[in-house]
Amino acid sequence: MAKVNFVKEYFKIAIRNLVTRRLRSWLTIIGVVIGIFLIVSLLSLSEGLKGAVLQQLRMMGKDLITIMPGDITNMMASLMGGQELTDDDIKTIKKTEGVDFVVPINYTSGVMRYNNQKKTVMISGNDWQEALDIYKNDLGWSLSEGRWPIPGKYELVVGSLVAQELFPGMKTEYGEAIIEGRNFKIVGILNSVGSKQDDQMISMDLDIFKNITGERTGAKMAFAKVKTGYSVDKVVEDLKQNLNESRKRKVGQQESDSSYTVLSSEKIASIVGNVMGLIQAVIIGFASIAIIVGGIGIMNTMYTSVRERTKEIGIMKAIGAKNSTINIIFLIESGIFGTVGGLGGVFLGFIFAKAIEAYFQIHPIFYLKASVTPQLFLFSLAFSFLVGCISGFLPARGASKLNPVDALRYE
Amino acid sequence: MAEALIKLQNVWKVYQLGKIELPVLRNIDLEIKPGSFVTIMGPSGSGKSTLMYLLGLLDVPTKGKIYLEGKDVSSFSDNLLAGLRGKKIGFVFQQFNLFQNLSAIENVMLPMIFQGVEEKERQDRAKKLLTLFDMAKRINHKPTELSGGEQQRVAIARSLANDPEIIIADEPTGNLDSGTGKIIMGALKKLHKEQKKTIIVVTHDPNIANYSEEIVNIKDGQIIKNHSHIAEVLWQK
Repeated sequence: MAKVNFVKEYFKIAIRNLVTRRLRSWLTIIGVVIGIFLIVSLLSLSEGLKGAVLQQLRMMGKDLITIMPGDITNMMASLMGGQELTDDDIKTIKKTEGVDFVVPINYTSGVMRYNNQKKTVMISGNDWQEALDIYKNDLGWSLSEGRWPIPGKYELVVGSLVAQELFPGMKTEYGEAIIEGRNFKIVGILNSVGSKQDDQMISMDLDIFKNITGERTGAKMAFAKVKTGYSVDKVVEDLKQNLNESRKRKVGQQESDSSYTVLSSEKIASIVGNVMGLIQAVIIGFASIAIIVGGIGIMNTMYTSVRERTKEIGIMKAIGAKNSTINIIFLIESGIFGTVGGLGGVFLGFIFAKAIEAYFQIHPIFYLKASVTPQLFLFSLAFSFLVGCISGFLPARGASKLNPVDALRYE
Repeated sequence: MAEALIKLQNVWKVYQLGKIELPVLRNIDLEIKPGSFVTIMGPSGSGKSTLMYLLGLLDVPTKGKIYLEGKDVSSFSDNLLAGLRGKKIGFVFQQFNLFQNLSAIENVMLPMIFQGVEEKERQDRAKKLLTLFDMAKRINHKPTELSGGEQQRVAIARSLANDPEIIIADEPTGNLDSGTGKIIMGALKKLHKEQKKTIIVVTHDPNIANYSEEIVNIKDGQIIKNHSHIAEVLWQK
């Protein structure tokens, strides 16, 4: 108890010393604030982004396999380069053992007229007959109003942002739209699925899509639903093998020059999780540089302080302060720099992250929720305190080891 | 005959300046009796301050022994010496050496914090000490708000904070006018007479000798004369 009391006294002495050199103390603290601010704001935003992406992926059923043309290492090049799954590929997927049914995904851009407004939109063709359950159960589609389209009818379901932003005020009761010169009835508006691209999509019957866009064969990508009782991983391997063999047979080569990316939902989640983790590691790395700079600032201030207060240290030793006492007082001072800087950084980082979150709610480029958790709060405070103590360790040790006579003679 | 409170036996203090050895104190033998009032006199560079630091346990000898109350303290660790200084020795400096960011009462309480005295007792003791030196109305003033004489009285009060047996004063009147200097020396004399404190004053001012019972003259790092009677000094003058 007595020891706690004296730490309290040393704490008061340390505070008094910091207040005496107010400007320098604040400047040192600001150095730490910047570092912790970066850590808190960037980590909370990247964690929020990771959470949003993973949540979207979790909406996909575990028994759903995604098949895309091209290699995963250069997916964008494959898609942008116009690679598609052929009708033969779709047939091969359907025939693979363990595949319940296949949902080809087709989309293209087109012009839509609604209520005297003309906008370019993304249009997808959907197999309402076979795949509605997959859309609802595995891709998380649900209606905010209206009903699902009847297969073979000129009916549309629109994403939430189509009704909110592209054509504000769009309603299902009297909604009529024109795409490629054909009249469509808007029968349903979807709830947000958590992705801006998907929320801006116009969905129509697959056959009608093929007719009006001229994209009659193949698909950009496909989902395959695995039958109950089959191993998803095994079906993934079989799909890869079957697709490659089918392509080889067709072109008559030993080696297929095409490649496919076949991924289970869990694998996608794992890849995305890893990528986001890597991004976070890079963020932490950069923010840590700012913290190190803050720590060097603390060390600089502490060394200056030790030099300025050399005589004071001598007097304290003369009137009975032990080396450990001097050490503790200086460590408390540097710890205060770290902790106060940490508190400031956490506060500003929190405000900044929430402001960014609010911005993205108003302008939903993608859905982002800042993740400011108690763990992040405690980690940042503990980290900043530790940086303060580590930075102050050498100066404090130097102060405590000063020879009292040399210190008293110091001018 | 009373046992020496502090005893220096064949003490040498040698500073190493690069490759050169500089002996500042040479073969010092000195005994300070409990309750005595001793003045250490000598010109600048004579080694009197170094001797004071050794007597105050702020430094250790290069050679020889220092005994405090019969115990050899010359090889004590820094922490043990700090503990002894805090309990047994109070310092008064020429420059007062008060902490500028602390009030008078906080300056007096500081040595008590290092000795683990509880807050209530610290405050009571500090108030009493400041009252003893006629500083009761100035306890909350910072050193910059006090005159030189007042600062030195606060410094004396601080030196008594842990009720030490020994007070070591380094040129205590050096920064004061003669009138204030007399008041300060009077205060030290009073402590010696009424509280039986052992007072060691380091000075180059012969007038200070009037207050002491014993004078140790030091020159070139050696004690050249140890006068037990003030009359001898006065006769020399």
